[in-house]
Amino acid sequence: MSENLLSTVDLDQTLSAQTPQEILSFALEQFDNIAISFSGAEDVVLVDMAYKIAPEKVQVFSLDTGRLHSETYRYIEKVREHYNIDIDVVFPESEAVNKLVREKGLFSFYKDDHKECCSIRKIGPLRRKLLTVDAWITGQRRDQSPGTRAAIPVIQDDKAFARPGESLTKFNPLANWSSEQVWAYIRSNNVPYNELHDRGFVSIGCEPCTRPTGPTQHEREGRWWWEEATLKECGLHDVNIKK
Amino acid sequence: MKITLVKKIKLDGSLCKKCEEVQQKLDATGQISLIDEVLIADERDPLSPGMEIASLFNVERAPFFLVEREGKAPEIHTIYFKFVKEVLNQKTLEEDELKEILNDNPDLDFL
Ligand code: SF4
Repeated sequence: MSENLLSTVDLDQTLSAQTPQEILSFALEQFDNIAISFSGAEDVVLVDMAYKIAPEKVQVFSLDTGRLHSETYRYIEKVREHYNIDIDVVFPESEAVNKLVREKGLFSFYKDDHKECCSIRKIGPLRRKLLTVDAWITGQRRDQSPGTRAAIPVIQDDKAFARPGESLTKFNPLANWSSEQVWAYIRSNNVPYNELHDRGFVSIGCEPCTRPTGPTQHEREGRWWWEEATLKECGLHDVNIKK
Repeated sequence: MKITLVKKIKLDGSLCKKCEEVQQKLDATGQISLIDEVLIADERDPLSPGMEIASLFNVERAPFFLVEREGKAPEIHTIYFKFVKEVLNQKTLEEDELKEILNDNPDLDFL
């Protein structure tokens, strides 16, 4: 990317009306050093789409928390072979994990909450990876967690992970897609998927923090189900900001 | 340089959780002495000084820091650890930084 982007707010309006493939095309055209975050679940559609748009530009990474299902490890390998691509598997700092396990054991998330473990096992390696790219792509969708994801934009200026004094752009091409649309794509394009989906897992994360959900449950109920569904409340309510 | 901290009072009259945490950190580290002014964004009052500033700079998160330097465009900082590192030139702990990122972006745990 040559310039310091692009008004992401204006672009979000334009891109929101476009298909995930169009958004991905735009992202891959704008940035040379751009990577797709692949969680080993249905966000594989991004890998498939990007591969069809610009196979030579596909850079994929996965966060290996050390607690994934063995099915997910096998699946990541399957995707690597299917598309013949490199998948950069990134790991947490062993010292930080050691400290957590020494002080709080292997299942601290059941006693405290999942944030400490997730920040060490996911956010740490994610940050290290993102310091090496100019833009990244996630499979985050609004329908995954109605409370916190309602406002997921298609493109955003990612200040949290940007290198000091530089910018990092985040694309969420599936933001406006529903789970049904994702699965229709997987089926009609014969995209390989994680075998756990056939066993009732809708949302797939780490093994101790993921469980299958029933047809009437929201997929969020399959993650950290022992915690109360509390929403973080730090946004300034728009209605109250004087325009 | 002038640094203004804007804290939020929620609709129920309480201070927002992150505002409380940031205030505690500023107090504990003595960084509060480097803050020139503290304003309140009262969600019940769109004309409160903090709400006016939030509206002016299009800020949707609280707390935030407004940094004004002579001859330069004002800067808004919504991420506390970045503000501490980049504006105050002080050190932060990696574990605190990672927790702040996740707290501010609760969807990241889904990755
Ligand atoms: S999902 Fe569970 S095991 Fe995985 S990083 Fe988060 S808390 Fe730890």
